[in-house]
Amino acid sequence: MIVLLAILSVFINPEFYKIALTVATPLMFASLGGVFSETTGVVNIALEGIILMGSFTSVVFTYLTGNVWFGVLMAVVSGIILALLHAWGSIKWSGNQIVLGTAITLLAQGLTGFLMEPIFGQPGQTDFVGKIDEITIPGLVEIPFIGQVLGEISPFVYIAFGCVAFGWWLIYKTKLGLRMRAVGENPEAADTLGINVYAIRYFGVIMSGVFASLAGAYLSVGEIGQFKELMSGGRGFIGLAAMIVGNWNPVGAMLASLFFGFFGAFSNQLQSLQEIQVAANVKSLFDTIPFILTIVVVAGVVGRSRGPAADGVPYEKHD
Amino acid sequence: MKRFLVIALLAVLFTFGFSFKAIMVTDTGGLGDKSFNDGTWAGIKKAGEELKIETKVVMSLEQSDYVPNLTKAAEEVLKEKDGGVVFAVGFMMQDALEKVAKQYPTVYFACIDFTPSSTLPNVIGFLFKEQEAAFSVGYIAAAMTKTGKVGFVGGIAIPPVERYRYGYEAGVKAYQDLKGKKVTVVRGYTNEFSDPKKGKDLAISQFSQGVDIIFAAAGACGNGVIEAAKEKSEKLAGKGLENIKKYALSGKALYYAIGVDVDQDYVAPGVVLTSATKGVDMAGYYGVKWAYTGQFKGGTQTLGLKEQGVRISQLTYTKEIIDKVAPTVLKEIDYLQGLILKGTITIPDSEDALKAFTVKGVKLPK
Repeated sequence: MIVLLAILSVFINPEFYKIALTVATPLMFASLGGVFSETTGVVNIALEGIILMGSFTSVVFTYLTGNVWFGVLMAVVSGIILALLHAWGSIKWSGNQIVLGTAITLLAQGLTGFLMEPIFGQPGQTDFVGKIDEITIPGLVEIPFIGQVLGEISPFVYIAFGCVAFGWWLIYKTKLGLRMRAVGENPEAADTLGINVYAIRYFGVIMSGVFASLAGAYLSVGEIGQFKELMSGGRGFIGLAAMIVGNWNPVGAMLASLFFGFFGAFSNQLQSLQEIQVAANVKSLFDTIPFILTIVVVAGVVGRSRGPAADGVPYEKHD
Repeated sequence: MKRFLVIALLAVLFTFGFSFKAIMVTDTGGLGDKSFNDGTWAGIKKAGEELKIETKVVMSLEQSDYVPNLTKAAEEVLKEKDGGVVFAVGFMMQDALEKVAKQYPTVYFACIDFTPSSTLPNVIGFLFKEQEAAFSVGYIAAAMTKTGKVGFVGGIAIPPVERYRYGYEAGVKAYQDLKGKKVTVVRGYTNEFSDPKKGKDLAISQFSQGVDIIFAAAGACGNGVIEAAKEKSEKLAGKGLENIKKYALSGKALYYAIGVDVDQDYVAPGVVLTSATKGVDMAGYYGVKWAYTGQFKGGTQTLGLKEQGVRISQLTYTKEIIDKVAPTVLKEIDYLQGLILKGTITIPDSEDALKAFTVKGVKLPK
């Protein structure tokens, strides 16, 4: 009974929802990136590496120029470069997209580790270089409860929601989006209709680089203000999982990310409840809650989730 | 004549040119963790400069790197004429080290934070009584909290992390026993040491449940804990040490973090209340020196308060704040540390000992 009440107390705590949003934000970016790439038919598991590179680049340029937003901008540039590399290999050369994605992730891990020493004079992690403060939204912040959740929060949370809205509009409401989906479902047919399959795929992959690098920038200069090797912590892969749970739809992927964020925050809260006294080594089990629930949800509630038909299949033009 | 000179010169070079190498293999926390990898490396470098020998560091990015890195380091040392010593830093390297150390019985190995399960003549294990430093920071936390709730964020629940926790909780308990102030400890684990965001999430969670001081023993995740306390406090007091100090000295409540392993007070001046430090640099220094001078003996070296292996930080930025909020606490800590040195009280190093721990018999001097 006491335990139940304690768990209930978690849900009426506005800070809980705020943490859930901040846990979900990098996943929202990453899963949206996955949606863009895979809608056009290119599997992009390089997201993890792009996130890490984004974290690194934003810290480097913040450190060099003192301007945090310039750091974010350069992170996006780094994301575009890595995404171009992936696109070039998988579209131009019809390379195996899983192998390429893995290679790019390993490249990002190696490169960030290697560049630490020459740039910062120390391997491992950087000092605090500065971060983007939370923004206060006048008016909203005064509303009880909602104000405590959304009134004072990192601007990246709002940017993430904005990107999801933009992504949904672009993919489902514009001509370009229709072409993206056509290319992902049936590139031959799209090609016969005069759509440039390669250009559309390049676009999808590059956009995935943009969004994933924003996830990276958020993790470093958005939240902590420093870079640590391998700090992306598998969020690129969790983002891909969110994309699949969300059925390759920007809004679905967002909901799935929020779901992961919600239970991620929940496991943090559970760990810290005094009413639940468990041994230290059992506490790590709390971290598995989101993933166990995912299996339940995917198997039981969502049912079949289906990706674009030509997802992961290189397209070669027959003249 | 000329040939003779050359031979003589070479002979001299070979006799006096000592070639000895100290190689440190990091754990996944890596150099730059501002914590025990950096600390050990500082000690090794110091010994290296003093003895004029070559020092080198090898980074491990993943746990699967431990065996190959240690093997490579041992091979490199074998090539040196006068051998050398290989450091394995971090409890997670225990299995890897045991495997490699048995294969290279002529190479010296020094372990930080662990000791092999069976004594090997070429392996020395440095252990620390983390609990004895954590006891003091727990005592300070209990004295400083305004909400009556303090937090602990651990990385993975390995022995050194847990020893920090036992000491921390014992310190809180001691304050309760002696002062009658009710303080509870909440605890959580990030399950890793390299994701600062995870540490921050956990810290914000604890803050939202009414905690106002958190002790982080979680490697780089601890940076996230410090950042969380900084963010929360700056929102109340404004940025910079001056504002934090002014706000705290006026008696108002702030959020604090407590650093670990090395003096982390400078990471967020005023917000990092204190740090529980351990002298990994001493272990690094003596590991090299003993191997070089032939004093090396296989076995375990445990460094505690007595050996000056653990202590609390200098309180460079927070001494004024602590003196203002809890005027007697630093004196009391001196007294209690005296009792630890005398052996009157023993700081618990296990869950059972923690449950049984009490300082009810102790009387603080007026």
